[in-house]
Amino acid sequence: MSVKKVSGNKSVSYARYGYLFILPFFVVYAIFTLYPQMLTIYNSFFEYYRDGLTIVGPNFVGMKNYVALFTKNSSGYIPLFKFLGNTVWLWLLGAVPQFVIAMMLAIFFTSTRLNIRGQQFFKTVIYMPNLIMASAFSMLFFALFSQVGPINQLLVEMGVIDKAFNFLGVRVTVQSLIALMNFLMWFGNTTILLMAGIQGIDESLFESARLDGSNATQVFFNITMPLLMPIFIYVLITSMIGGIQMFDVPQVLTNGIGTPNNTSMTLIMYLNNFLGTSKNYGMAGAVSVLLFIITAILSTFVFKTINKK
Amino acid sequence: MSKDINKSARIKLLISRIVVYGILIFLAFLCLFFFYLMIINSTRSNAQLKTGFTVIPGGHMLENFINAWNDGSINIPVGMKNSFIVSSMCAVLTTYFSALTAYGTYVYDFKYKSLVHIFILAIMMIPAQVSAVGFIQLAYKYNLTNKLWMLIIPSIAAPSVYFYMRQYLEATLPLEMVEAARIDGSSEFRIFNTIVLPIMKPAVAVQMIFSFVGSWNNYFMPALLLNKAEKKTVPIMIAQLRSADYSKFDMGKVYMLMLMAILPVMVIYIILSKSIIKGVTSGSVKG
Amino acid sequence: MKKLLSISLALLMGLTAVGCSNSTPSNSASPAPAEGGEGKVLNVWTWNTEFWGFLGKYYADEVVDEYTLKKGDVTIKRTTYPSDDGAYQNALDEALLNQATAADDDKIDLFLAEADYIVKYTNSDATMDVKSIGVTDFSNTYQYTVQAASDAKGTVKGVSFQCCPAALIYRRSIAQDVIGTDDPAAVQAAVADWDKFNQVAADAKDKGYYMIATTNATYRVYSNNTTSPWVKDNKLSIDPNIEKWMDQSEEFVKNGYTAYTSNIWGDEATSEMFGSGKTMCYFGPAWYFNFSMTNAQDKEKGCFGDWAICQGPQPFFWGGTWMLAATGTDNPEMVADIMNTFINNEEVCEGLVKNEAQFSNNQKINNKYASDPTFGNEFLGGQNDTAIFAELAKNIKFQNVTQYDQLCNEGLQKYFTEFLDGEVATREDAINNFKDFIKNKYPSITVE
Repeated sequence: MSVKKVSGNKSVSYARYGYLFILPFFVVYAIFTLYPQMLTIYNSFFEYYRDGLTIVGPNFVGMKNYVALFTKNSSGYIPLFKFLGNTVWLWLLGAVPQFVIAMMLAIFFTSTRLNIRGQQFFKTVIYMPNLIMASAFSMLFFALFSQVGPINQLLVEMGVIDKAFNFLGVRVTVQSLIALMNFLMWFGNTTILLMAGIQGIDESLFESARLDGSNATQVFFNITMPLLMPIFIYVLITSMIGGIQMFDVPQVLTNGIGTPNNTSMTLIMYLNNFLGTSKNYGMAGAVSVLLFIITAILSTFVFKTINKK
Repeated sequence: MSKDINKSARIKLLISRIVVYGILIFLAFLCLFFFYLMIINSTRSNAQLKTGFTVIPGGHMLENFINAWNDGSINIPVGMKNSFIVSSMCAVLTTYFSALTAYGTYVYDFKYKSLVHIFILAIMMIPAQVSAVGFIQLAYKYNLTNKLWMLIIPSIAAPSVYFYMRQYLEATLPLEMVEAARIDGSSEFRIFNTIVLPIMKPAVAVQMIFSFVGSWNNYFMPALLLNKAEKKTVPIMIAQLRSADYSKFDMGKVYMLMLMAILPVMVIYIILSKSIIKGVTSGSVKG
Repeated sequence: MKKLLSISLALLMGLTAVGCSNSTPSNSASPAPAEGGEGKVLNVWTWNTEFWGFLGKYYADEVVDEYTLKKGDVTIKRTTYPSDDGAYQNALDEALLNQATAADDDKIDLFLAEADYIVKYTNSDATMDVKSIGVTDFSNTYQYTVQAASDAKGTVKGVSFQCCPAALIYRRSIAQDVIGTDDPAAVQAAVADWDKFNQVAADAKDKGYYMIATTNATYRVYSNNTTSPWVKDNKLSIDPNIEKWMDQSEEFVKNGYTAYTSNIWGDEATSEMFGSGKTMCYFGPAWYFNFSMTNAQDKEKGCFGDWAICQGPQPFFWGGTWMLAATGTDNPEMVADIMNTFINNEEVCEGLVKNEAQFSNNQKINNKYASDPTFGNEFLGGQNDTAIFAELAKNIKFQNVTQYDQLCNEGLQKYFTEFLDGEVATREDAINNFKDFIKNKYPSITVE
């Protein structure tokens, strides 16, 4: 505050620079994000798609696209719900171990009693998958786990199985592989963030708890966890927002069709399908609007945690 | 007695250390194992790959590299060139303009200043996919598909990078410094470019790396926007391997292509891992 | 703030409305060839490099690189998109919709299309009458290839450089073991209809072999013998013969007659083509040998020469690559020249048969080799495949085709395979998944 007072009088004459400096951001944002967003919403009220070389629409249809989104398909379910459910489930499968293990590692790394050596090495290694191109990682898993791939060769050679197993055709294994990839890509990142959170807690609190005779479990639940909560929630919700956008890994692994039986089809894959052959801007727009609502709700939580600080 | 307690405590510590190191080594193994397989397989010929699994390299690395480099349907040199253009341009633009915007809302007082700040925070979490439909529609309408700049220019408006820069400025830039420069007669842009940017170097460097990596790995938007062979970026080509009907018979080449796709980022990571990991942590100031 | 937002929103909506109103496709460019000489760039669109290779070898003066050829002072450029999931069609549609406004050197001049979707292009203004540019002699081509390249009124829009009668391709050594002979006539007698075929499959199983590498291998045989199109009056229907394929596939999986249930192009199925493979039968036309059986031709691990062909349980044709002339081309003369070269230039057609193991679209040349007792295909142990294909070509009918066939064929196989793999409970569920897939890809089609 005191700093602002110093510049108080003069800064008035500099106001135009403020506008000038933020101008590029807002111009670009308006053209490349805001306008397309509006257009997306606008589209969602129109019938507008390709049928080969014919363009159908745009014809105003009101809420018809939304109604269609909530209508049961030939298989007798509402695709939107099923794919949203898939997305949440796939996220959970990866996120639960991700947070449990990350929390564990964060405690290991920050424990003065354990005094882990080679922290830099371990951190470097566990963070690495986060930087790998998700589509390449997924393609790698596809190649490794295909029926003629090295994992099957290895299992057959070791006598674990006698015939190649179709990892990519079975729900349990496909979902597990997606979860494993998401886990590997994110647990290092989460570990580092939670570690920073724990390190931010006043050391004297731990000290006094130990003097009171608390054991490790008590320290964790009475001191670490409550004080870590804001950061934990922040990391959790950003992970959720990331999870809702899950695309690259299942898309490449299942070649876009969410094998088997659409059980690994995520919300964004569903959206992406509308943008392929049919260029169905109407339906894709409606899916986007719902995606926007979901992330908006989640974002409010993030927003609150940020603003608290 | 006290010696015994000491001893049992030490044994307990030893056991827990063994368990902890065991877990760490297992997780590290898990992280490296798949990449190890990829690297090994990229050195083996297609015939070797079909015969079975080994842990030793196959000696066909150069051959696979040449095959991958010259592949007719997956033009990886062009892909890497495109990816490099997009990623480096994004890295430069996103950091420069985010710093500029952050500086704008931090240093200057203007009427809607706090509104602007809150607005940027509010849009931070909206996923890119929400604007994708409209974006693609516009791109097709104005014939702007297969233009790399369509992926580059939008990076100027990056709310989360802005947020990071703003945090950094708050922590490191005393406004007196700006005042002093003004008294020296420097223009506002000069102050930003010659005084503020150098101060922000660490933040810029970290965000440049993350931005570069992010663009290098980005798949969703480029895949919707680029379909011409000579405009494709690496992730699209890699995903194409998955659906390529005829061309993927040489698995040695396929592993090599994947290796090439992730190699640039890996090299950056190996050189800068320390500051990257630090960057992740300082990013948590967000929380 | 709220007010500001609503104003800008309204403004934007207005903008959009204006923008949308003029987005009708403009494809009314006149089919008349450009006057004042030919363009300097000829753009060819393909989904693979098969035809491109022949163009370089038999037509161009010089192969500059993988994407560029030279003929006289004209540069021939290739644009390629993968076929899978309709990617090639999507890109082509987009380019054709923008053809009128594209610069001359960017305009598509010649593009390739497959039987699965060729009607979409022949029945549109995006292709032009090739008779008007000088392709007039169809006396030696196979009738169905001309019919396929014609629109509903009979205007011919392109030609094919190949004719694609397909056959059953079998491993001689395995046939010896299972049937007791590798003589094509005897093998044909043993697999003359599906019942017999299934019986041989049981025998093969007893001897430790697989009849087919994947259940999808027989798909094209069934789908090419349907009595109704996939889509009629915008309604999707599944032909009884497709149902029969499903029956057979289910049976084969249950009895272990098939090695895999995977994609026919994938690593799993093609790995069976190596010498160490245990699979007896494949199905395909002449292009299949070179194009899809590279594992069988592998020098170290393949089984070159251990193959032969016979008609199989049902005659069928599969694929075929047509070149269509794009409306708006600035190189009509060269487009016509290329088409004439690949159907009427006897030297070129002979080259295709002799050197490329193709079955050309020139009856005279094909018949010449068919009746030549010294002519044989080494890959097939010296068998004269041209003779068999010449016989089979007589029966080909181009019927029940729609522009939606590629994704219908791909989709049905993908989703039915999930049922075969036991991941979808019933056949109905698999079919429903398929219907939802089609509905998503083609909003104009009603499913039930």
